[in-house]
Amino acid sequence: MQASELYGRQLALTPLEAQDLPAATQKFVALRVTANRLQCQRCGSVLNRQAAQLPRDQFYCYDCLNLGRVSTLTSLYHISEPNDFPKVDQLTWQGQLTDQQASCAAMIQTKFEAHQRQLLWAVTGAGKTEMLFPGLAWALAQGWRVAIASPRVDVCLELHPRLQAAFANLEIALLHGRQITPYRYCQLTICTTHQLLRFRAAFDVLIVDEVDAFPFAANPRLGYAVEQALKPVSALLYLTATPSQDLLRQVRQHELGLSYLPLRFHQQLLPPIRVTLQPRYWERLKKGKLPWPLRPWLADYANRGQRFLIFVPRVAQLAVVQAAIQQVYPGLKGLTVHASDPERLAKVQAMRNLDVQYLVTTTILERGVTFPGIDVIVLGADDPIFSTAALVQIAGRVGRSKARPTGLVRFICRSYARPVKRAIRQIKLVNRKGRRLRAEMPVVSPLE
Amino acid sequence: MLKCLLCHRSSEPKLRLPWVLSWQPLERPVVCQACWQTFTPIMTSQACPSCGRAQTQRSLCHDCQRWPQQAFYNQALFTYNEAMQAYFEQYKFKGDYRLRAVFRAVLMARLASLQPAIVVPIPVTANTMVTRGFNQVTGWLSDGENSGWLKTKHQTKAVPQSQKKRQARLLTPQPFELTGAGPDLTAKTVVLVDDVYTTGRTIRHAADLILENGAKSVIGLTLAR
Ligand SMILES: [Zn+2]
Ligand SMILES: [Zn+2]
Ligand SMILES: [Zn+2]
Repeated sequence: MQASELYGRQLALTPLEAQDLPAATQKFVALRVTANRLQCQRCGSVLNRQAAQLPRDQFYCYDCLNLGRVSTLTSLYHISEPNDFPKVDQLTWQGQLTDQQASCAAMIQTKFEAHQRQLLWAVTGAGKTEMLFPGLAWALAQGWRVAIASPRVDVCLELHPRLQAAFANLEIALLHGRQITPYRYCQLTICTTHQLLRFRAAFDVLIVDEVDAFPFAANPRLGYAVEQALKPVSALLYLTATPSQDLLRQVRQHELGLSYLPLRFHQQLLPPIRVTLQPRYWERLKKGKLPWPLRPWLADYANRGQRFLIFVPRVAQLAVVQAAIQQVYPGLKGLTVHASDPERLAKVQAMRNLDVQYLVTTTILERGVTFPGIDVIVLGADDPIFSTAALVQIAGRVGRSKARPTGLVRFICRSYARPVKRAIRQIKLVNRKGRRLRAEMPVVSPLE
Repeated sequence: MLKCLLCHRSSEPKLRLPWVLSWQPLERPVVCQACWQTFTPIMTSQACPSCGRAQTQRSLCHDCQRWPQQAFYNQALFTYNEAMQAYFEQYKFKGDYRLRAVFRAVLMARLASLQPAIVVPIPVTANTMVTRGFNQVTGWLSDGENSGWLKTKHQTKAVPQSQKKRQARLLTPQPFELTGAGPDLTAKTVVLVDDVYTTGRTIRHAADLILENGAKSVIGLTLAR
């Protein structure tokens, strides 16, 4: 094994596999066993003694198995990060930032320089990737090691080519669970947050994108991963469009600074959510009828040719909704699509190509996918399947084009569930910031 | 509440009447219905009588016609399909020892029905015991340890069986030896337990050794074929 494969990493190896490691290698306990506690030193899980038991009084960690097994038969091997990177001409990106993006970018760089921890609450469609470029270029020019991590593989897959295009002369590592190419030591790494568990004191700057996306929020190990992967003196930037209660608590406790970017790249506010309570919407739909106020809304869309998305909680409901629409408005052309739909890409493309006027869909289209100038309706927004983050992301699909920076976001629910209320409140809050910002124009406001 | 060992989803196990009336101790299922149904049981009445492979009828399969007659036959519980492959990937190769519980009950039940005088698991090498840390066969049966008296000759396998072609596997020399510490095999029926019957080379080597040492017959029992 090459020394560089261990720089800033911690690999679980058996004594046999660790025979010929370089002299600088340090060895750590992989699984700490005491009389009443068993803790994996890679992922931090405290383990159930019975479940973790192997023969001969050995133990293993069942929580991070897919990174290669940690057990009392292994140790963690590590070489401290030497920041041994070639100097290359870094930023090749030629684009332009808006004034607000530029001042937000400057703020990010300042936080990196000062080794601070920051939460950037940027509304969907603010153009946050581009705003990272100046700060990244600065950090790379210092010879710092940098990682951008996201809980979602698809975010990583989308970020990698964009960053590779912006830093054309730089080799950028991409790490995720479905990886087949071998690991390479690079100055810039893009990886899933899970992969961070394989690092130890590696990064001078760590950016965690879409920090509130599933499964980060539900996974307490990832906080541990972030702390392990960071150098003791380092900068941490969380990016989110919908901060969780936990992150906001860290802000209140001054563990994390907070900045807002409340305006979208075209300087417009987020469209507010409008809620209509309709306790019997589903009963009507099942009978093939369109419940009020869906009927007048669709009549208007049919009239004007306005394009729209309808979100429903469950895959099984797609066909029912579609059938009811077709019964009442046979002239409206649309498709249904869901996460494991084999024709998903083709159907999304049909919507992009204006071949159909609407899609009925489950939550899969909440992130990443944009159709310019659409409206959005969420049927059953109070269903527990929709988290606050999901609802804010769905609302964020609207008003993303310069040509039509506004649009309607309408929820039909039986009651005001807590995530619905929180989503409304989050959007109101950032819009209040945004209005103030447009009025005074120093761009990023600190938390008061 | 049951948390499935394979898909990690929670479900409520159903209490069925015949089971309640059977007065058996409450044995909690460890996998959900949906996962369990991905495995395909082999009907002995429709399997090859020599290797246990699933067929449409009970007759010697084309692979077995090439083996010399022996006081040995094999039974297999499940067809080696995608689900079984995924199971072995997680249990044996990733080393998730908790998964031994998935097939413990069915294997123990079949083993009991064979009424063996002696049961012996196919051993793993000494190196596997310090890297994987367990014998996958005794994981199902007892404690994950190797048996004391049937041993592998070498510390390590040169090439894992799973990476060899059929021809190369058939030429593999006898990998096992008996230590002096074993029971008297004379005129006994011995059940040899292994994880998968693929070419049959491994288990038949072990059977040869046991027959040469006086056993009357050897029955192979494998989880998959
Ligand atoms: Zn672990
Ligand atoms: Zn399951
Ligand atoms: Zn056969």
